[in-house]
Amino acid sequence: MVIKTILGLIALLALAYLGGHPRMRRIEQRLRISQVVTAGFPFVALGVVAALPSVGVLTHSVLDDLTPLLRFGLGWIGFVTGHRFETRSFDGLPKGTASAVGFATAMPFLTVVTAASVLLLFSSEWSETTFHDPVFLRDALILGTAGAMTARTAARLVSGVSNGNFSRVRLARIIQLEEFAGIAGLAFIAAYFRPTGPDIGWQLPGTAWLFLTIGLGATIGILAYVLLRRPASGAESVVLLLGTVAFASGLASALHLSPIVVCFVAGVLLANFPSDSKAKLGEALGRLERPIYLLFLVMVGAILEIDDWRGWVLGAVFVVARLVGKWLSANFIARYTDFDAHADENWLASRGPIGQLAIAIVVSAQLLFPEGSIPIIVTAVLMGAIVTEILVQILARGGGSPKSGIANLSDGEVSAPADPDSEGGGEAPVAAAGEESR
Amino acid sequence: MSLLLILALAGLMHAARSFTVNGSIPLGSGTILAFGFVLLTAFFMGRIFKRVRLPKLTGYIAAGILIGPSALGLLDHAVVDQLKIVNGVAIALIALTAGSELDFRTFRPLFRSIQWITITAVLGTSILLAIAVFLLRGQLPFMADMTLHHAIAISMVLGVVMVAQSPAVVVALRDEMDADGPVSRTVLGIVVIADLVVILLFALVSSYAKSSFGAPGDALDTVSKLSWEILGSLGSGALIGGLVAIYLRKIEGGASLFVITVTFVMAEVGTRLDFDPLLMALAAGVLIRNFTKAGDQLHHAIESSSLPVYVVFFAVAGANIHLGVLATVGIPAAIFVLVRGAGLLGGTRLGARLAQAPPNVERYAGMGLLPQAGLALALALLFAKIFPEFGDDAAALTLGVVALNEIIAPAIYRLALVRSGEAGARSAAEEAETAPGPDLPPDAADA
Repeated sequence: MVIKTILGLIALLALAYLGGHPRMRRIEQRLRISQVVTAGFPFVALGVVAALPSVGVLTHSVLDDLTPLLRFGLGWIGFVTGHRFETRSFDGLPKGTASAVGFATAMPFLTVVTAASVLLLFSSEWSETTFHDPVFLRDALILGTAGAMTARTAARLVSGVSNGNFSRVRLARIIQLEEFAGIAGLAFIAAYFRPTGPDIGWQLPGTAWLFLTIGLGATIGILAYVLLRRPASGAESVVLLLGTVAFASGLASALHLSPIVVCFVAGVLLANFPSDSKAKLGEALGRLERPIYLLFLVMVGAILEIDDWRGWVLGAVFVVARLVGKWLSANFIARYTDFDAHADENWLASRGPIGQLAIAIVVSAQLLFPEGSIPIIVTAVLMGAIVTEILVQILARGGGSPKSGIANLSDGEVSAPADPDSEGGGEAPVAAAGEESR
Repeated sequence: MSLLLILALAGLMHAARSFTVNGSIPLGSGTILAFGFVLLTAFFMGRIFKRVRLPKLTGYIAAGILIGPSALGLLDHAVVDQLKIVNGVAIALIALTAGSELDFRTFRPLFRSIQWITITAVLGTSILLAIAVFLLRGQLPFMADMTLHHAIAISMVLGVVMVAQSPAVVVALRDEMDADGPVSRTVLGIVVIADLVVILLFALVSSYAKSSFGAPGDALDTVSKLSWEILGSLGSGALIGGLVAIYLRKIEGGASLFVITVTFVMAEVGTRLDFDPLLMALAAGVLIRNFTKAGDQLHHAIESSSLPVYVVFFAVAGANIHLGVLATVGIPAAIFVLVRGAGLLGGTRLGARLAQAPPNVERYAGMGLLPQAGLALALALLFAKIFPEFGDDAAALTLGVVALNEIIAPAIYRLALVRSGEAGARSAAEEAETAPGPDLPPDAADA
């Protein structure tokens, strides 16, 4: 039994690795198959299959054993996202960007929170939530936070004609601001909806926990800055990076905080402090990125409660509410802000796929609040990620975009030198693993 | 600065521990927190030790002792047990490295020395230790009431257990010191062969001891188990080595991840099939080095991925040292450490002289045989399982001996590598190989 589990885990790792191999990406480009088919989705599917009782590889006890890995994966994602958040790169953004980002995140957030709250409350029989219990609000807020963000691939889908590269860079920056809003949302939820009980130390008010979260992230960031700026060989850099992220993730988890948020703050500090070792750090991040994402996605698949129909119902509501929110935000941006949105950007803003960070946020929420309706929220967001990605690909191929054929951009074109996000690659919604690794 | 960083990390770790009321923390967070903490603390402790001219490896072990349950208690026993998952991978990785270093062409001139030193130092010291245990049996409570026959049998077993060397420390120090030359090669060859010899001897003497205590000793059963373990390990290791070589030659990229995965399979699956992961990995490494062209690729793949595994492995080994046990069995353990040291150093000199080895080998190779770690611990635990009546006490004594050797011996071997002039020799040799030759005048070049 144990041997079967070990070999099963190895097989998963091997298959996931092969799925993200450069040769596989070349085949994908040649056949013009969406990344969702060749990269991310199969990893999640592998996790789902491995968790089936008949297969019995990723059983509950094995998953419990692998929980440290999941926490580490979340911390890594937070760290990488934060490290890309260099504030200087936002200097050139045009007038009205702040209001545009405000609308782009607030509208889907509001529509998803409203729709999810209504659904969770009016179907309290199966959602197991009541109006008197603030848990429904917490769960709706988590779903809204996940829905507010757009995948980084959206920036890659902007066509490369005329000022396409400029649009791509600008949209990438806007998406980064959306990510920032999403992480801030998670920080608020983790601080104000904390578990209570006799086993929990440090009984503090929510606001204090919020400051504590930022303070912890800043402390880790400063510590990481001191650790990582010291001269080190390649292998030593790996030790320091692994140690820093593991320590930060573990510390955050032990305090019932989200590893994503704490590591994000640390990553932002590292990215914005002056240092000669930024390039080396980026290189080390890139080297370890793929294996971590692969394992993370397989485990997300394994914890998915695929046979729970409530997740699928909530998923459908989530996708529709998010699309409505995105459409509203696009119109509001055009009507009430000075932001001169390119046609492609509007198209993407209204239909943009859900990113990997959104999935990470709900998984983090599940680890923070294992009770309540969080498991069905994970299903809903994962379903949303897959559906929106497929939708984007179909629309792109079928001319739904103002510039048809945008899905045919090669990796090289997408990560042109002018694209500041080319380091570490961009993000496919569920399909991050293959792409992130470059 | 390294010390300040360690203090800052310890402060944060202490804060995290104070958060829990009944010791319950969210699932999995303790393990990942401990992993990060151990990795960083041990790494910086290694730097501090390097600055005072001690091996980094000793620094990793010292960090483990300091933060472990015996001293500051920042890691508890449960967390240390969870981190032991790294042990199997580390041992297999170290054995793979050792195997890939055993190039038969380079080692052929040293075979005579290795053979003689193994006989005189390893077998001789084992006998010497058995005699010492027998003579000191009055001081050892668990042996005080034994009959002469039983005391002889148990002394023989403990003699074999306590002589075991540590390929892990030898390989890790060789890498750390970037050492190459007759001394480091001879030591590597001896510890690898001694590992096999000790496993075989333990099987033989423990069977004898078992039968002397009245337990049914089935010689055929012992032989078949040993054959399965040794031949099965070597065979499966060779098979895995072939697969690794094919991967390294045919598939581009991901070699480090692949090698780590393979070592994990060897450690976890091999143990469950009653194979010895050390022998498996050793066989794989030897095959790759001597029968394929992927030896250098394997070396690079291991080099870039092994440091985090080594750091955690040695730190966890340190955290497992029970200082309390050392206080109890300290005096007899210290005596056995001295007997073992004298036996190995004297035996090496004798063996080297008989084999007409180079003077440096005669002078310094014995120091490389002193480190002790995994195998002795494993045999001590096995001993406790075979003889449940007094095995735990005997295991505690062995743990004391290993603990002392773990702390002291790496520094001695480091000194040997420095004094013999082999420290840093590997890089120097590689640089000399890659450096362009002297500029020749055109006509000389033509000629």
